[in-house]
Amino acid sequence: MSVQTEPRGMSEVRSPSSKLVVWMRKLSNSLARPLFAIILAMIAGTIVILITSPGSIVDRFANVSAAYSSLWIGSFGDPGNITYTLVRVTPLLLAGISVAIAFRVGLFNIGAAGQLAVGAMTAGIIGFKLSTWPSGLLVPTMLLGSMLAGAVWGGIVGLLKAWRGAHEVVTTIMLNWIAFYVTDYLIDGPFKAPNQANQTPSLPPQGTLPLVSKFYNQTLGTFLPMIGSPEQYPVDMGIFIALLALVIYWFLTRRTTFGYEVRVIGQNPQAAKYAGISVKRNIVVAMALAGAFAGLAGSVRLMGQFPYQLIGTTFSIDSTGFDAIGVALLGRTSAIGVLLGALLFGGLRQGGTYMQVNAGIPGDLVFIIQALVLFSIASEFLPAIRRSTARWTRRTIKPALVAPLIGDSTSVSTKEPLVKKTLSEDPIIVPEQTPEGTLNGNDASDESEQITPLDSGRPTPLPGE
Amino acid sequence: MFLQVLFRVLGSSDLWQSTLQFGALLLLPALGGVISERSGVVNIAMEGMMLTGAYAGVMVDLATHNVLLGVIGAIVAGGLMALVHAIVSINFKADQVVSGIAINIAALGLTNYLLFIQTQGQGVHSLTDNLRLPTLNLGPLANIPFLGPILFQQNIIVYVAVIILLAIQFLLFRTNIGLRIRAVGEHPQAADTAGINVRLIRYACVISSGMLAGLGGGFLSMGIAGIFNSNMTGGTGFIALAAMIFGKYTPVGTGLACLVFGLGEALSTRLQDTGFSPNLLSTLPYLLTLVALIGLVGRTVAPAADGIPYEPGTE
Repeated sequence: MSVQTEPRGMSEVRSPSSKLVVWMRKLSNSLARPLFAIILAMIAGTIVILITSPGSIVDRFANVSAAYSSLWIGSFGDPGNITYTLVRVTPLLLAGISVAIAFRVGLFNIGAAGQLAVGAMTAGIIGFKLSTWPSGLLVPTMLLGSMLAGAVWGGIVGLLKAWRGAHEVVTTIMLNWIAFYVTDYLIDGPFKAPNQANQTPSLPPQGTLPLVSKFYNQTLGTFLPMIGSPEQYPVDMGIFIALLALVIYWFLTRRTTFGYEVRVIGQNPQAAKYAGISVKRNIVVAMALAGAFAGLAGSVRLMGQFPYQLIGTTFSIDSTGFDAIGVALLGRTSAIGVLLGALLFGGLRQGGTYMQVNAGIPGDLVFIIQALVLFSIASEFLPAIRRSTARWTRRTIKPALVAPLIGDSTSVSTKEPLVKKTLSEDPIIVPEQTPEGTLNGNDASDESEQITPLDSGRPTPLPGE
Repeated sequence: MFLQVLFRVLGSSDLWQSTLQFGALLLLPALGGVISERSGVVNIAMEGMMLTGAYAGVMVDLATHNVLLGVIGAIVAGGLMALVHAIVSINFKADQVVSGIAINIAALGLTNYLLFIQTQGQGVHSLTDNLRLPTLNLGPLANIPFLGPILFQQNIIVYVAVIILLAIQFLLFRTNIGLRIRAVGEHPQAADTAGINVRLIRYACVISSGMLAGLGGGFLSMGIAGIFNSNMTGGTGFIALAAMIFGKYTPVGTGLACLVFGLGEALSTRLQDTGFSPNLLSTLPYLLTLVALIGLVGRTVAPAADGIPYEPGTE
């Protein structure tokens, strides 16, 4: 992939003021594929509505516009709805980070759903057992407990991968269902609420996270204007935990040795091994971290939202763990991308329920849209189309000495004259262009981010096996 | 007390009858998984393909009042979902795991969406007896004590599943086509060099896997439940996935795994009065599969090229 970054390096060398241009190009490059995927999914959703709705063709188009406008209003249309969306964004962010960390090391964490269940259960158990503790002590204990439980659940996957080479997709699916059934057992057994079926009692009040609006009223609201009827804005303090987690994730992957090593492993485990990086240790650590974030997603949602209790058989039908895969893929595992992806998927889910109530179109439509987003992200429709158009429009035969190009790079490199490429390979220019970039992996990583998720589903051969 | 109940339950033909029934329900999608993965395409979308099959089967059945057409509808619907998986993962060289997840989400969304539109949110009624898949009753054989109801009084699909199991075992290991399928799954480059059409084989295998999963879904909705409910598969496709891995990607091994998992499922509902949690018993298939993966009882190894899109001209 190194070929791809070099033309950009060139422009940086050309003039310092073109940094903005480089940044813009990076942005548009990394936004193009997700945007294309979303547009494609929207078009497909339109077709589904057109086919399935009754009445004349005019009625059908009216249905489409009603659907999409209510989807928008229901998700980001007014402050109340935005807070409802944020409620859904919170666990998606945390679970999205979980999947993204695993992607970074080249693993596919389908187990976020199970790690989330285990985390929520652990937080619940701590809450019930230590219900006499003060809030300032109980809440952190519950959060840490859920992270620990998730880390164990994810760490098992890492251990099995590193120790026995067991494929993480299979082990995570198995562990998911084990988690679902064990939590169902605990909810309907030892921790069942008296005289209730299949649910635990509610958490003690000091084991819950307050709503942002109420918290504001109690603190800043004492000398600033108060928020009237705070229940209408039901987002809880968990959103700040999720945003903090996002910052930690960014720091972990961009500013620490761990992040660097993990990135190398994700790209080339063989090379990582020769560079003296312990692949096995990093796989276990990354999966444990992934599990910790997913576990946190479980506890934050349990503690943040009414009814503050665990209900049986909800985890196996909860889609957060799978949505998180879409979030991480859409966001290309970058922190800001995960945020945007979570906003999109959370908005779709919230808008979907609003749409069903207000436009009479089943909210399940958003599942179809989500699936199509995943399809197009996964199948590189964009590069595939580009590849085929390049085939039609190609005028010259590719020089034999140019390294084989994959994906996006085809179009980038065919536009660039060959001379530039040979220039950029000049040893005098190359070291100058990214002295710190190479160390932090800043420059190269942006390209690698786009590649990692798409390669990571393939079994990663461990060195020494 | 517990042992007493256990022995009483184990001695009843009712338990073994439903073991075979659950086993067959798992077997159909699991065999589909075997075929698909043997040809080198990861298929974790059996769940979604089953759900689509279950839905389409009931809807065609209700519309035409013909069970056979319902079954065909289920098979075709499963096959269509698989076709999407095939196009996306073979032609577009997509990540097969992501594609599988997308199929599962799409199936859930599509069936719920269409169910809502078609029935105005009311849901469908239970199928009347003449619209359900019939239970065969092989006359005097069915009257043999104990064994009769188990072996000779089963739903027609149970027998079909056993026949398909034997056919696929024969196909994979005794025929030229089977050799080609396995070659494509282990080393597509070599297979291509030998003149085998890698894409064609993979397409055929993925679509057959969807058709089998669709048939399994049809069995669930039209045979066992007699109704279609939202998300009625509830993880059956994933147990089938576990059975496939536990059975080491061979049809006969998968069949045995399905029997074990089927027994677990049948037991879990019957041991409830002993205070033994059915939920805990339900974890058994997954625990066993994990153990098999770790290699304590003979390690499970997937086909070498499983999950890797084929690029002609690469090493």
